[in-house]
Amino acid sequence: MSINEKLLRKRERSAALMLWMAKRSSYNKSLLDKACRWAVNRATTLPPEEDFLRDPLIDSDEGFDADELDRYQRGEISKIL
Amino acid sequence: MPAAPPFDPQAISDAKFEERAVRPGVTTKRTICQTCDIACSVVAEVEKGRVVKIRSSDNPIFRDNICMKGIMAPKGLADPTRIMKPLKRVGKRGSGEWEEVSWDEAITDIGERLKTIIEKHGPEAWTVSTSQWNTATDHGLGRRIMNHVGSPNWISGVALCAGNTAAVNRFTYGWFPMGDYANTKCIVLMGHNPRRHSWTPMYNFIRQAQARGAKLIVTDPRRSSSAERADIWLPLKAGSDAAMMLGWLKVILDEELYDKKFVKNWTIGFDDLRKRVDEYPLERVAKLTGCDPEMIAKAARMYATDGPSIIPWTPITDMQRNSTSGIRLQSILRSVCGYIDVPGGERLEGFNPDIINESAIEMHHLLSDEQKAKQLGSDKHPAFTYRGQEVFREPTKRVYGQEYANLIMGCHMATPSATFRAMAGQGPYPVKAFFFLGNNPMMSYANMPLIIEAMMNQDLIVAHEHFMIPSAQLADYVLPGDSWLERPWLMDSFGWMSSVRPSEKAMEPPGECKSTFEFWKLIAGALDKPELVPWDTLEDFYDYRLEKTGMTFDQLVKKTDIYFAPPKFRQYEQKGFATPSGKVELKSSILEELGFDPLPYFREDPPVDPKYPLKLFTGVREDGFFQTGHRHIPEMRKRHPAPLVFVSPGTAEQFQVEEDEWVEVENELGKISIKVAIKDAMPDGLIRIPHGWWKPEMKQGTGHLSGALKYADAQLCRDDEDYLDREQGIPHLKGVPCRINRVKQSEQSDAPASEMEPAE
Ligand code: SF4
Repeated sequence: MSINEKLLRKRERSAALMLWMAKRSSYNKSLLDKACRWAVNRATTLPPEEDFLRDPLIDSDEGFDADELDRYQRGEISKIL
Repeated sequence: MPAAPPFDPQAISDAKFEERAVRPGVTTKRTICQTCDIACSVVAEVEKGRVVKIRSSDNPIFRDNICMKGIMAPKGLADPTRIMKPLKRVGKRGSGEWEEVSWDEAITDIGERLKTIIEKHGPEAWTVSTSQWNTATDHGLGRRIMNHVGSPNWISGVALCAGNTAAVNRFTYGWFPMGDYANTKCIVLMGHNPRRHSWTPMYNFIRQAQARGAKLIVTDPRRSSSAERADIWLPLKAGSDAAMMLGWLKVILDEELYDKKFVKNWTIGFDDLRKRVDEYPLERVAKLTGCDPEMIAKAARMYATDGPSIIPWTPITDMQRNSTSGIRLQSILRSVCGYIDVPGGERLEGFNPDIINESAIEMHHLLSDEQKAKQLGSDKHPAFTYRGQEVFREPTKRVYGQEYANLIMGCHMATPSATFRAMAGQGPYPVKAFFFLGNNPMMSYANMPLIIEAMMNQDLIVAHEHFMIPSAQLADYVLPGDSWLERPWLMDSFGWMSSVRPSEKAMEPPGECKSTFEFWKLIAGALDKPELVPWDTLEDFYDYRLEKTGMTFDQLVKKTDIYFAPPKFRQYEQKGFATPSGKVELKSSILEELGFDPLPYFREDPPVDPKYPLKLFTGVREDGFFQTGHRHIPEMRKRHPAPLVFVSPGTAEQFQVEEDEWVEVENELGKISIKVAIKDAMPDGLIRIPHGWWKPEMKQGTGHLSGALKYADAQLCRDDEDYLDREQGIPHLKGVPCRINRVKQSEQSDAPASEMEPAE
């Protein structure tokens, strides 16, 4: 099915606008950049109960202790596979 | 009507969109995770000169793109077994006897030995196996040096994973498209199953699209988690993807669901395609795929009428004996339905004109025709070799401004199987020097026994690695590599997309670990060609590449997380497509010229030996690992303590095996040990094994190879002609005949591997 030219142009404009907003959002310096970031943030935020990316492993990650990583690297902490 | 969102400029400029708070003494770096090949933009938190945490980006366009492998990187890369100094083999090859040497000593000796091999056997006797997905800072410098020296024999895992797809996509419309997930209305996943912890950004895109109302069609023999969420799931027979797409085309053409205007103006070969498609009525397709004809038709209609639709890249069609036809059929479906280079469809982005791209850095024009003709495998299976791709020079220059486009590094490769045969002394000429970087070749290509034989027949093997992986155990030199936490990076998507992302260096490399950039700089010097890598540092090199943007690498980092030009759609209306005809070639003039069927087809399986009644599906990744890596990380191993073969309850009953039982999976090529996991999501008659198993704590060296000889799936991956794709020569990993053997349980141990065979 051939796509209507007018509809296609509209889609092209809206896709270009989305990408322009993503670009400004990544700059995040001027008020305009921040407005784009705010809009992108809003458009991509899902209610917590629908947020498929929530994951306890990731959300509760606290990282590592620098000294402990040093000791681990030197083989001072036992490693059992 | 919902109320308009409150718009408060102060709230917008607030710290809400600044970086998340960190503990005192902690600084942050915006970096790109390179633990797998999807490159999430993430943040590294640094304390006392060490990366202590990896978290997702603060930029909402990269929201929550992080997985368990990413957060584990600071520990995985601080592993006590990481190689910190250059190692030189002192005993017999594979003896496991090494001495520490300086980089100077290693590089001088490597240079001398490589020059001797080239003098004696010619430059084609030097082969390199790597991929920029793994090494990142190669940026085409390896190819650049090889092209100057005169060797065409570069191989890569991308030969059966995305690189070959890129090369084959060019046959139809001259570039490799990227799906526009943000605007699409229908996604087709062909056996691919991105998950929360595997290919997270793709999972994110797909779920976001579904949340917006996009349809999802999944073709997969097993009931994957994506299949469970799909609008239509077609449980096809493994390896029958090409037949399925021929069936879709039959419906789309018969019911006139295609984009007539686009087909008329922008394609050639439609009538021939129609004749070929007519050979595949739905009853035949149903028989070939094992799917209900009504469901096949329903899926075809959904793809063609609920669009714009996308068929994202999938490794499944990269790894089967009908790979070329499968990839071509995806390209043809996109084209006839009018989904090429439109919003919500698949964009042909082209190079970013502001960046010196990796294809240009590689300097393929310098390799002589005579040397190109020697590229291994190009005689029989030329699709992604110079022989199959040289014809794109003129059209690519016309459309994209330069002759060579080595998309995903996959467009000018030697074929791996032919290369290993030559290395083993079974080729047209000797290959005696083998370098591999960030790559475990023994376990990453088909026919592991041949690869071991090939490696044992080398005069010089150099590995650039983090750990003593099984392949490195057979090397002459193992040189310590840096990691993504320890270097800057300019990520340019390897020509797939025109965007560029910078990644900051977050900490110093430990010990004497060096980047791939530094490795190639040293090799260029050792070959008396220091001018090939004239930049002192990676940052200098990036400043050179970014010159046209008017920014240095540092300035780019400060400015943005991602740099791209405004998108353009339907660019073909100005310059045509980068094919010989300038049109979408439904009937490929290039394949015809090379002596192959110019139209897609389906080659049925060879007769099955009753000794091997099951079909084997391999290449699957577990969430905690990427490729053959990460088996050294305790947290990941706790999740996946042993390789598991997935079998259906029916197959388990047929072979009288039970959950958790150790068995052997065997075929004509070899056998492996593996534990049974019974899954009702698996179809009867098909078993699935994971990719890349070895155990770093097990005995190293020949005869052991840290468990690779016991567990690695590459021992079952055949590369005889029956199980190779004709045009590309890549192996069939999706439906190879095999069987399950019961073994005495006393021969196996459930004890933790670390107690079973201690590390040496
Ligand atoms: S999916 Fe995970 S491993 Fe891959 S790049 Fe993202 S965070 Fe890293």
